[in-house]
Amino acid sequence: MRARLTTLSMVGPALVLFVVMLVVPVGLSIYLSLTDWDGYSANPAFIGLKNYVNLTHSAEAIRAGWVTLLIAAVGTVLLSALGLGFALLVNGASRLNAFFRIVLFYPHVLSALVVGFLWSAVLGTSGVVNGWLTSKGSAVLPFLSDPKWALASLIAVLVWAGFGVNVVLYLAGLQTVSKDLLEAARIDGASKRQTFLNVTLPALAPVVTVNLVLSLVTLLKTYDLVVSLTGGGPAGSTQTAAYLILWDSFHNNALGFGSAQSVVLMVITAGLALTVARLRARADQGASA
Amino acid sequence: MARSVRLKAGRQFGLLTSAALLLVSAAGCGGGFSDNKGAAGGSTGEVRMLVNITPNLTKSYWEGLVKPFEDANPGVDVKIEAPSGSGVKDTLPQLLAAGNAPDVVETLMADKVLAPQMLDLTNEAWTKDTPLVDQAKLDGKVYTVGVGQQAQSLVFYNKDAFAKAGISAPPKDLDELTADMGKLKAAGYLPLQTAGDYVTGLQLLQLADPSIATKYPDWFQQVNSKQVKLGDTLLPLLERYQSWIKSGYIDKNALGLKDVGAQTNFFSGKAGMYIMGSWLVRTADDAKPKFDLGVFAAPVEKGQPSPGPQGVTMAAPYMVLKSTKQRDLAVKLVQFLVTDKTAVQSQLSQDGNFRKGYTEKLSPLGKQVQDILDQAPKGVAQGEGYGANTLPSGFNGEWNKAVQSLYTGKSAKDVATRMDSWLGSKS
Repeated sequence: MRARLTTLSMVGPALVLFVVMLVVPVGLSIYLSLTDWDGYSANPAFIGLKNYVNLTHSAEAIRAGWVTLLIAAVGTVLLSALGLGFALLVNGASRLNAFFRIVLFYPHVLSALVVGFLWSAVLGTSGVVNGWLTSKGSAVLPFLSDPKWALASLIAVLVWAGFGVNVVLYLAGLQTVSKDLLEAARIDGASKRQTFLNVTLPALAPVVTVNLVLSLVTLLKTYDLVVSLTGGGPAGSTQTAAYLILWDSFHNNALGFGSAQSVVLMVITAGLALTVARLRARADQGASA
Repeated sequence: MARSVRLKAGRQFGLLTSAALLLVSAAGCGGGFSDNKGAAGGSTGEVRMLVNITPNLTKSYWEGLVKPFEDANPGVDVKIEAPSGSGVKDTLPQLLAAGNAPDVVETLMADKVLAPQMLDLTNEAWTKDTPLVDQAKLDGKVYTVGVGQQAQSLVFYNKDAFAKAGISAPPKDLDELTADMGKLKAAGYLPLQTAGDYVTGLQLLQLADPSIATKYPDWFQQVNSKQVKLGDTLLPLLERYQSWIKSGYIDKNALGLKDVGAQTNFFSGKAGMYIMGSWLVRTADDAKPKFDLGVFAAPVEKGQPSPGPQGVTMAAPYMVLKSTKQRDLAVKLVQFLVTDKTAVQSQLSQDGNFRKGYTEKLSPLGKQVQDILDQAPKGVAQGEGYGANTLPSGFNGEWNKAVQSLYTGKSAKDVATRMDSWLGSKS
């Protein structure tokens, strides 16, 4: 009995936190997604799966879903590739490398809202780049005013703001690569490329998985940079799922519908993250076999 | 044995989880889903007011504004609360859901969704003379009272550019406006400055108010009851706007600008006109542009009486929440904010708003706006509207995206159809 109480006293606080921070919000979201709650009414009506049916008919939500997936797919690849590339460049122990590591990580320290406003001042129609172009007699580039350009600009800024984390993770991973193996490869006459492909990269496999999953999950929830950089525009072309959830919930007083979108996003995010993790685990097993 | 231990442990975990879940759910949902009736409260205590915070309306400004009220009512503390979300609109539901609603809320206006949470102020005699109180009534009841009004359908213009383009007087109808745009372009100016973000759709709504209100005096009711198609009523203006984009009267890259960037462009003298609400007066007075800045009422369609009705919205609207435990003090505070001369004047000046009888401190540009308001045959609601004149929630956002799609290849007809389809989905 005493042992049980001791166990409970140790597990209890963590369990309560887990329930409060995770189980209750998720449970409430699922419950609200089955109602017509507008955010104010005392008695939201239970409407079953109507919000989910409406979601499948909403051209706006479907478009936001595709935009989010595109951002997540392209962004994840770029974050991982750039993260690894720069990590290799600044891997050595020197003062210059230490300086560059700080510079590379610095954008991630800034608030995404600040980053968005900063880049809108650079890429906007009257921004720094276009100001310089027009002063040279060139035409304005539609970084934020054309749907395709705006999406590309958004992905580029997301990558700029986020890849510092990937660099740090890869740098940590690079410290774990066996020096003996690298030395053995060098003695065997392996080129730098061969050493990287056959020794370094396989050793980094778990870090690659962590990077991919973290980047994917983060990008699937992209919100604040959309608010400050493009405002979801032009013409709603850069609205992400998270942006639309907030918009529908609070601007359109449709928290029930917003909750349904949240639940779907949560399921898709979990599904994609698990799929990536499993695929990577399989690849790792294949590499070590 | 091991299975039995696992089952036992599982049961304990389940029980513990359920208990915690119940406990937390009970606490968490205590406010949001209950129908709190509130209480009159005493003559002292704390009154919480959720307000909009902007560069003009800072927290210290609000605290200074209510200080005389606190001084006149010893023992009363007015606590100014800034939105924890991106604005009052998304903060209030969060506070209600948490059972932590403020006593007074500023910025929002009652609609069918909000009204059940708000105190009915119909029997308060002091509300009768507040601006737009009748227009903001919902089912004949007063929930929202305001400090002043904002004129919406205004076109600010560069008088020097007009003179250089050979335009002797501001246009009275939209045909004249289009012709003037051609002259401004020929004189080397961007005829109409616009921006992305919320500005694109807002400007077109502001421009549309006089002509639509003249052609359809009960536009909101007719659109809601499907007597007229929403898209049909907006189509002529959409076609005109599209022709302006094609003619280069509006910069096709304007969507890459935010409102501040557009204002900067306009105040720098590059553009001939900028459509915006009366709050621009305060910004313009501060910006002190080098050209002679004027303002005229948004033109009507050819053949309609000019000036047409003016789009107006309530400035600094206040509501008292039904759930307040300090009902008497909260009502007294709102009465002070919308009727006390000093408090009213302060709020009008601080955010560039207007009210009859408060013209002494207006700048020359402000006086022009007051004249436009005085000369308008009537004030009309705009966009999602307020009171009895309301469109479904979300209209403004949908309209903005739809108008922006004119820049990205959609036709005016496509936009009109999109708006009809959106309204249909809200039925």
